[in-house]
Amino acid sequence: MELTLNRADYVQVGVTSQKTMKLLPASRNRATQKVVLGDHDGVVTCFGMKKGEAVAVFKTLPGQKIARLELGGTLHMPQEKIFIATGSEIRGFTKRGKQFLSFETNLTESIKAMHVSGSDLFLSASYIYNHYCDCKDQHYYLSGDKINDVICLPVERVPHITPVLACQDRVLRVLQGSDVIYEIEVPGPPTVLALHNGNGGDSGEDLLFGTSDGKLGLIQITASKPIHKWEIQNEKKRGGILCVDNFDIVGDGVKDLIVGRDDGMVEVYSFDHANEPVLRFDQTLSESVTSIQGGCVGKDGYDEIVASTYSGWVTGLTTEPIHKESGPGEELKINQEMQSKISSLRSELEHIQYKVLQEREKYQQSSQSSKAKSAVPSFSVNDKFTLNKDDASYSLVLEVQTSIDTVLIQSDVPIDLLDVDKNSAVVSFSSCDSESNDNFLLATYRCQTNTTRLELKIRSIEGQYGTLQAYVTPRIQPKTCQVRQYLIKPLSLHQRIHFIDHDRPMNTLTLAGQFSFAEIHSWVVFCLPEVPEKPPAGECVTFYFQNTFLDTQLESTYRKGEGVFKSDNISTISILKDVLSKEATKKKINLNISYEINEVSVKHTLKLIHPKLEYQLLLAKKVQLIDALKELQIHEGNTNFLIPEYRSILEEADHLQEEYKKQPAHLERLYGMITDLFIDKFKFKGTNVKTKVPLLLEILDSYDQNALIAFFDAT
Amino acid sequence: MLLPVFTLKLRHKIIPRMVAVGRYDGTHPCLTAATQAGKVFIHNPHLRSHYSSASRVSQSPLESDVSLLNINQAVSCLTAGVLNPDIGCDSLLVGTQTNLLAYDVHNNSDLFYREAIDGANAVVLGTLGDISSPLAIIGGNCALQGFDHEGNDLFWTVTGDNVRSLALCDFDGDGKKELLVGSEDFDIRVFKEDEIVAEMTETEVITSLCPVYGSRFGYALSNGTVGVYDKAARYWRIKSKNHAMSIHAFDLNNDGVCELVTGWSNGKVDARSDRTGEVIFKDNFSSAIAGVVEGDYRMDGHTQLICCSVDGEIRGYLPGMAELRGNFMDPTAEQEQIRELSQKKQNLLLELRNYEENSKMALNSPLNETDGHRGVIPANTRIHTTLSVNLGNEAQAAHAELCISTSNDTIIRAVLIFAEGIFLGESHVVHPSIHSLSSSVYIPITPPKDVPVDLYLKTFVGYRSSTQFHVFELTRQLPRFCMYALINPDSATEPVSYVNFIIAERAQRVVTWLNQNFLLPDDINTQNAPFQVCFTSLRNGGQLFIKTKPNGEITINTDDIDLAGDIIQSMASFFAIEDLQVEANFPLYFEELRKVLIKVDEYHSVHQKLSADMADNSNLIRSLLVRAEDARLMRDMKTMKSRYMELYDLNKDLLNGYKIRCNNHTELLGNLKAVNQAIQRAGRLRVGRPKNQVISACRDAIRSNNINTLFRIMRVGTASS
Repeated sequence: MELTLNRADYVQVGVTSQKTMKLLPASRNRATQKVVLGDHDGVVTCFGMKKGEAVAVFKTLPGQKIARLELGGTLHMPQEKIFIATGSEIRGFTKRGKQFLSFETNLTESIKAMHVSGSDLFLSASYIYNHYCDCKDQHYYLSGDKINDVICLPVERVPHITPVLACQDRVLRVLQGSDVIYEIEVPGPPTVLALHNGNGGDSGEDLLFGTSDGKLGLIQITASKPIHKWEIQNEKKRGGILCVDNFDIVGDGVKDLIVGRDDGMVEVYSFDHANEPVLRFDQTLSESVTSIQGGCVGKDGYDEIVASTYSGWVTGLTTEPIHKESGPGEELKINQEMQSKISSLRSELEHIQYKVLQEREKYQQSSQSSKAKSAVPSFSVNDKFTLNKDDASYSLVLEVQTSIDTVLIQSDVPIDLLDVDKNSAVVSFSSCDSESNDNFLLATYRCQTNTTRLELKIRSIEGQYGTLQAYVTPRIQPKTCQVRQYLIKPLSLHQRIHFIDHDRPMNTLTLAGQFSFAEIHSWVVFCLPEVPEKPPAGECVTFYFQNTFLDTQLESTYRKGEGVFKSDNISTISILKDVLSKEATKKKINLNISYEINEVSVKHTLKLIHPKLEYQLLLAKKVQLIDALKELQIHEGNTNFLIPEYRSILEEADHLQEEYKKQPAHLERLYGMITDLFIDKFKFKGTNVKTKVPLLLEILDSYDQNALIAFFDAT
Repeated sequence: MLLPVFTLKLRHKIIPRMVAVGRYDGTHPCLTAATQAGKVFIHNPHLRSHYSSASRVSQSPLESDVSLLNINQAVSCLTAGVLNPDIGCDSLLVGTQTNLLAYDVHNNSDLFYREAIDGANAVVLGTLGDISSPLAIIGGNCALQGFDHEGNDLFWTVTGDNVRSLALCDFDGDGKKELLVGSEDFDIRVFKEDEIVAEMTETEVITSLCPVYGSRFGYALSNGTVGVYDKAARYWRIKSKNHAMSIHAFDLNNDGVCELVTGWSNGKVDARSDRTGEVIFKDNFSSAIAGVVEGDYRMDGHTQLICCSVDGEIRGYLPGMAELRGNFMDPTAEQEQIRELSQKKQNLLLELRNYEENSKMALNSPLNETDGHRGVIPANTRIHTTLSVNLGNEAQAAHAELCISTSNDTIIRAVLIFAEGIFLGESHVVHPSIHSLSSSVYIPITPPKDVPVDLYLKTFVGYRSSTQFHVFELTRQLPRFCMYALINPDSATEPVSYVNFIIAERAQRVVTWLNQNFLLPDDINTQNAPFQVCFTSLRNGGQLFIKTKPNGEITINTDDIDLAGDIIQSMASFFAIEDLQVEANFPLYFEELRKVLIKVDEYHSVHQKLSADMADNSNLIRSLLVRAEDARLMRDMKTMKSRYMELYDLNKDLLNGYKIRCNNHTELLGNLKAVNQAIQRAGRLRVGRPKNQVISACRDAIRSNNINTLFRIMRVGTASS
């Protein structure tokens, strides 16, 4: 059965954060439910739909930004008490809007995530997790990396209280009391957690997670170990997951999985016989979907998916058909309803427009006076700068509550800006004539009207580091623009991992000197992505990394006065050496640098590169042949005369071309890295081999693994 | 929602822009398109093909209802239509870089096969002006040629640069068609037969043109712009990051007015209202669109819009019913509207909040450090802009300079300039490094052409530590001749080349024109003629003298014939001059042109000789082959081998000869282009009727190969002395 859902927009409030909208439980089955949501203005809005009109139940006064909104109540009773997290405070409201709780947690950071269960309250700020029972402090945990979400397995079904933290370092931490029982590595930085089927599934231990790189998974959290049930990869390169819910929208008696992503995608997965999820429906809402829930809002009897978006829209995707089968008069009525809605909106607009004109004049007048100031409040920009593992490039996503006019991208490091199919903005590159201005890239994106979200793809080169700046100008008067800065780190293509292959031949770099633990940590943060800014607890710390492009690894262990970096890639070590000594010199710290180079590692790295290089060369060759073969095909009418190799190229032509398009300049990047490897190998020996690079490129042009290894050895 | 009424998937690639529908037997429409390997395919689903294995046509091995036409050369343009009204069916026209073929598909015969020395980049078929028979007009390197069905050359003229697109449209509403020509110098020119009646300058190469409705026509540029002109005024335009592959006018919503349908390089097709540019319909293909045409492809009396992708996917759309009007986009158009209105409301509320917050802030104490951080600036901050000429130094070449400064201690973080045609892309960014931020910014501007340009400036103003900046938006116009600096006439040498003409204008008006079109340090205040001003070009240091006499005679001395033309055209439009006869003398340029003309002759004779050689060689090949095969049959392997060796050598010679011929041909084309441009330039020195006289007289002179007359015409404007 095909699932068709029709979109209906209900109301718009201020900018919303992740997980800040809920549906209040219905009084009876399939009756309309009220929607409650909190926004960045600090307003909690509760409304219901009556005859296609949104009718407010209550609205609180503005205050601090609302980070989370959850429902709670006595266990085994309808969960209809509203809890919000704003700043370091938790507030509770009844469904009528009466405040019954105001709890100041006295946390130093503002609350980022919240879970409510009976009288238990689980909160987390950036690094701190706290468990309260009846507003009394129970347990506490300090996490090594940022906590993105917190949840607790249903207390009524699981013997122990088992909170789970989703941490930025790709780990779910399962707690008991104040201690971690075990950690679960997940494929990406987890951003959201939810109980499977809303109650933890059959066992009460099933937990859903979504990651910022768009992957989904289900894990059973048993008392002793995790059991991975399934995972959905992000093959279509969609956005990161912001919210999930379980609701039977298909109507087959099994709860479906509803997912909201940060590129505006809403997806419905239903489960097949093997309990594996299958995509049933997707629709894009063109801006981040911050919260999602299944229920019934627009009209009783019709199930729907309710989603709230970044700019505060509450939208329903309803099973209610648009064109009723009833008589022709009915349709007319609906039309009239719409028309009256439009005209009332129009008159409201006119009114506001008049007011705006007055204010605008006032503002103009104030610019005559010499004492007045012009202070335009900042607009909120939702941005995300992440490394994609698949093609080793960064993606920068900028989202603004109103439509974007232009975005100026400036960088003081050489980077490549790649085209993204999704965005329609017209890009133009400006010449960066004078290097004295520190500009390596100047580009403007002029957006089409109604663009609120812009996605860019950036390719960096390891060893070249600096800052990327984005100046975002929205289409709003008075015109202002905001600068966002993103660091391109020296080892920008590295990603945190949790296990490392110890059998590889390693090169070692050892630092010794009079530096504190915090200092060396700050250097590591400077060099590598995905390291928490806060120095972790303990005296000595070890982080593992993997190069997303070449799959070489890096192990960094450091403490006060000593740091040891091991990698199978000589270039990584070389970059670290250069950057760390520069940083230390800046702080006037005397460093004792020693290194141990393992000759075998170069060969090992070349062997790692070999399959990638070979694949790319073969692909390029095949793609080159496609057109000629197709022409032959037209000439001859069939392909029987071709050798099987060519026939298979023709059969796979589309696939090959797609693959080729996906990885532009992949070959050039590999060549670049091999060249770096070559130069770095001899740099450590104290010889400069830059003059031999053309020779190396010649060998690469007619690539043969043995010849290349021989060249590395011979010189 | 409008759904396709038919979809087809042909297993042939389609080369972009080369798609047409023709009724070659008078009744059955056939989709015709150029495909790979110098072939044209004809899709004829209505009739089982009955072509025997004739010379040009062969059955496609891939599909039964497709036949292939072998051109043996890369096809550069293609169209179909009525060329000979008497035979009652359509003819197919195929242009290549050297030839134009008119082909009768039904009878499988050539109507004519003409050499087109200037190439055929674009072709259009139809009636032009008062010429009674339909013409096949091709546009090549700077030249336009029109042939009737017998291949007679009835129309010939030149244009400014290589032609990229052609269309026929009733531009001035007199019921007769004018020819629209889009060329690589970014100009759209309108020819009323061989007279230019209008010229519109665009910002990029014009890749497509199509008549829309009445005097309206659509155009597409190579930078992704699509728009509609009504006569010489632009109605609307939009720009996309994709490229418009093909445009076509079609009434998709049955309101009696054609919409502009565009096929894009990313596979999108959209139809836009001719009045507003609003999208009323869109669809997506999996690969780039190759062409958009129309035809009654189902033969049910309704014309469909037919869109073809480069991969051979074809979809046909029927115009929507009247009651569906305006409802193609989405069944929930009203929802859309409500969304839009709410968004507007939200924006206004946000703006209102901005003002409220602002007035709250204003009550606070004077500016302090944190204010600067948050982008608070004094309300009376102003932005000043000045344009001047910078003569440059060793490090930097001379340029026009735009200076932007603030009125107080605020700094300029960055400047964005949007302007067309003077930067690499559509914008230029100035972003000083954090150490050299100041309250003023100097921006060098070097427009490559002498055209007036509007500069749209966005200036980010704040303080050093700000993370939020105020954006000041301003528009400045760059004068047409900003790349010329005023110098002292005494220090300059007067160029020998000049143009001379008389206008009935007071000296003050000329001064006003000067002030408006040049960047002068101070406005000139001379009230009376005679006076003279002297400029030097910032591009090449050439001199420019403009002298007036009391009788209204103006002499312009410059060695740059293009500049002289630009000045005359600029003056003509400023003073609203309709006809202007000019005396011109450009000895240096004329000398060069003479050399070019001699070269053209040389290349022509080389070409003929090479062709003759080739013919000889091919005869030789034939006999060698026969003899070699004879030897094989006689089992005389030795002779056979030596024959084949000879054949091999001869083949190599032929290949070499071909390369020489190719080089010769490109050289020839380059020189012919120079000749065509010279005629165009000579025309641009005049205005109105004298301009057309010059062009047609020059053309006659070239035809009769009378070089001296040609130069006299260029000098005085007429052939007779």
